[in-house]
Amino acid sequence: MSWFTDRHFFLIAVALYGFGALYLVFLWRKGFRTDDRASYFLLLTAFALHTIAMFKRGFNFKECPVNNLYEATTFIAWTIVAAYLVIGLLPRLRFLGAFASPVLFAMGVFALMPALDPPHALHPNFSNGLTSLHAALIFLAIGAFGLSAVAALMFLTEEHNLKFHKLRAIFSMLPPIQRLERVMNSLLLAGIVLLTAGLAFSPLLLKQKFGVYFKNDPLLDYAIFIWLFYIGLLVARRWFGQGGRRFAWSTVGSFAFILLTFWGFLLLSPIHHP
Amino acid sequence: MNIVVIGLSHHTSPVELRERFAFADAKIPGALTLLRASGIASEAVILSTCNRVEIYTATSLEPAQAFVELKKFLKTAHAFENPLGEEIYALAEPQSLHHLFKVASGLDSMVLGETEILGQLKTAYKIAHEHKHTGARLNKAFQRAFNVAKQIRTETSIQRGSVSVASVAVELAEKIFSSLAEREVLVIGAGEMSEKTARALLSRGAKSIIVANRSHERAQILAKEFGGRAVQFDGWAAEFEKIDIAISSTSAPHHILDRAKLEPLMKARKNRPLLLIDIAVPRDIAPEVNFLENVYLYNIDDLQSIAADYLKQRKEEIVRCEAIIAEKVRPLVEIKSVQPRMDTNGHGLKTASIKP
Repeated sequence: MSWFTDRHFFLIAVALYGFGALYLVFLWRKGFRTDDRASYFLLLTAFALHTIAMFKRGFNFKECPVNNLYEATTFIAWTIVAAYLVIGLLPRLRFLGAFASPVLFAMGVFALMPALDPPHALHPNFSNGLTSLHAALIFLAIGAFGLSAVAALMFLTEEHNLKFHKLRAIFSMLPPIQRLERVMNSLLLAGIVLLTAGLAFSPLLLKQKFGVYFKNDPLLDYAIFIWLFYIGLLVARRWFGQGGRRFAWSTVGSFAFILLTFWGFLLLSPIHHP
Repeated sequence: MNIVVIGLSHHTSPVELRERFAFADAKIPGALTLLRASGIASEAVILSTCNRVEIYTATSLEPAQAFVELKKFLKTAHAFENPLGEEIYALAEPQSLHHLFKVASGLDSMVLGETEILGQLKTAYKIAHEHKHTGARLNKAFQRAFNVAKQIRTETSIQRGSVSVASVAVELAEKIFSSLAEREVLVIGAGEMSEKTARALLSRGAKSIIVANRSHERAQILAKEFGGRAVQFDGWAAEFEKIDIAISSTSAPHHILDRAKLEPLMKARKNRPLLLIDIAVPRDIAPEVNFLENVYLYNIDDLQSIAADYLKQRKEEIVRCEAIIAEKVRPLVEIKSVQPRMDTNGHGLKTASIKP
């Protein structure tokens, strides 16, 4: 079985995320009237395979597997599934899974592109515990933002149905929009806390590596911008009543922005690619 | 031993007749004792609700004879001397079992798929069982009927959705708000429909009701009934900052709430979601307020159309329910051959059978 690498496990997990995405189409056509246990168990199985893939990679290289774009993407996807599996224990929020599947599938397909997973260098990028913790916290934060975007997609679906008096608005099993808004808010808050914690290690790591507490770097500037942007979103919601549809669109839009730009800034960063 | 049923329901007789044959709960054990003592039935259950009066029996008599005797018993028990024709129906196996399962599942109810009848049937069975008027046949038939009702409820959509305007409004509120427990409801114009809707919201846990009516006295009466408070009719707009749901049913000839009026109120509410239920004709609320963010406006047509769609979907489920019932009736039927349906005089055979 030595030919069966961690990438093969991940490939099967991605295929299951794909099935989850197809199942979403089925649920959508049915107006979300059926229970969504199937999507939960589909993601649970995929999560198990995904975890095996990450463990295999981690044990092979004896480090936290967040050293290249493939590993970073798989890690973020893994945090999204892990968070969903906990949240999905509440039947009322289980539908997040169906909405998360297409995002996970897209991330999985992206991660599997061969160029993103070059052979490991002799000295890995994140070679100590502090670096691994810093990377893990930031990727967990991105996972929380991703899950928040998934809740926002559910919100927008349900809100549209309610606004346009569609029967499926009340026939569907989607949670009430107020609860979805709360879920969005909590996940964003969790993401900000994780991102803050992750970024807090940056000065220490810079001191270790370069002897300074701050260094101008595209990825670092980008991370600070994201951090400020999400804080701004929460402030606008809390103090200026910018809730509802605008909040949901901002949540989806900002996560889409991260998905599209994070990799570019990571590649541009000399600190992270010395 | 054959299970036969005789009765009147909303399908066959008007309420004036049904109420003549109704059995008070307290009198049912006595009636059952009389029925069994007369030798007509070995086992019996009497179901008496506002929509139906039915006697289910397990009898060794031939169905034709049993129908005649049961009809005689029913008339005697209520001192009814006028002739009865199509108002009474009588069914022998397998139709009697099929009917029992349909009744239990709400398929024979005035509001298709309603669940109240199942509780009433359970109570009727419990009374008969506790007074030892049931035996192996009826016990098995009723237990199976309760199981079938449960199966139909879980496997089909026959009981899904609301078929009244008030309950559709409640469902909408439950799709917008996490919980109704903290929700304040404003009733503008104390009409019958708005009262029903407010009552439905209260029964689902709404926190309080505020009533505004042109006649302040009427508003006070209604507010007292709901345990809420009344406000002057001109002052309802001031309540908008606090409330979550507004039900409007005034007789105003023009819109009392439009976009220009609501927009600043929404800002004051910090854009919390607002459900507006306009059940007035002509409408009280200008339709364009629905374009405002976090505002969800439903008028009487919207609500009725949802209720009608629900009903349509329930009707579409009947075929699935019938299939489940037919499958469950089959093992219970002692005589496999198709039994004739007879009139209650014991003659004039009509063949009405369920297809296996």
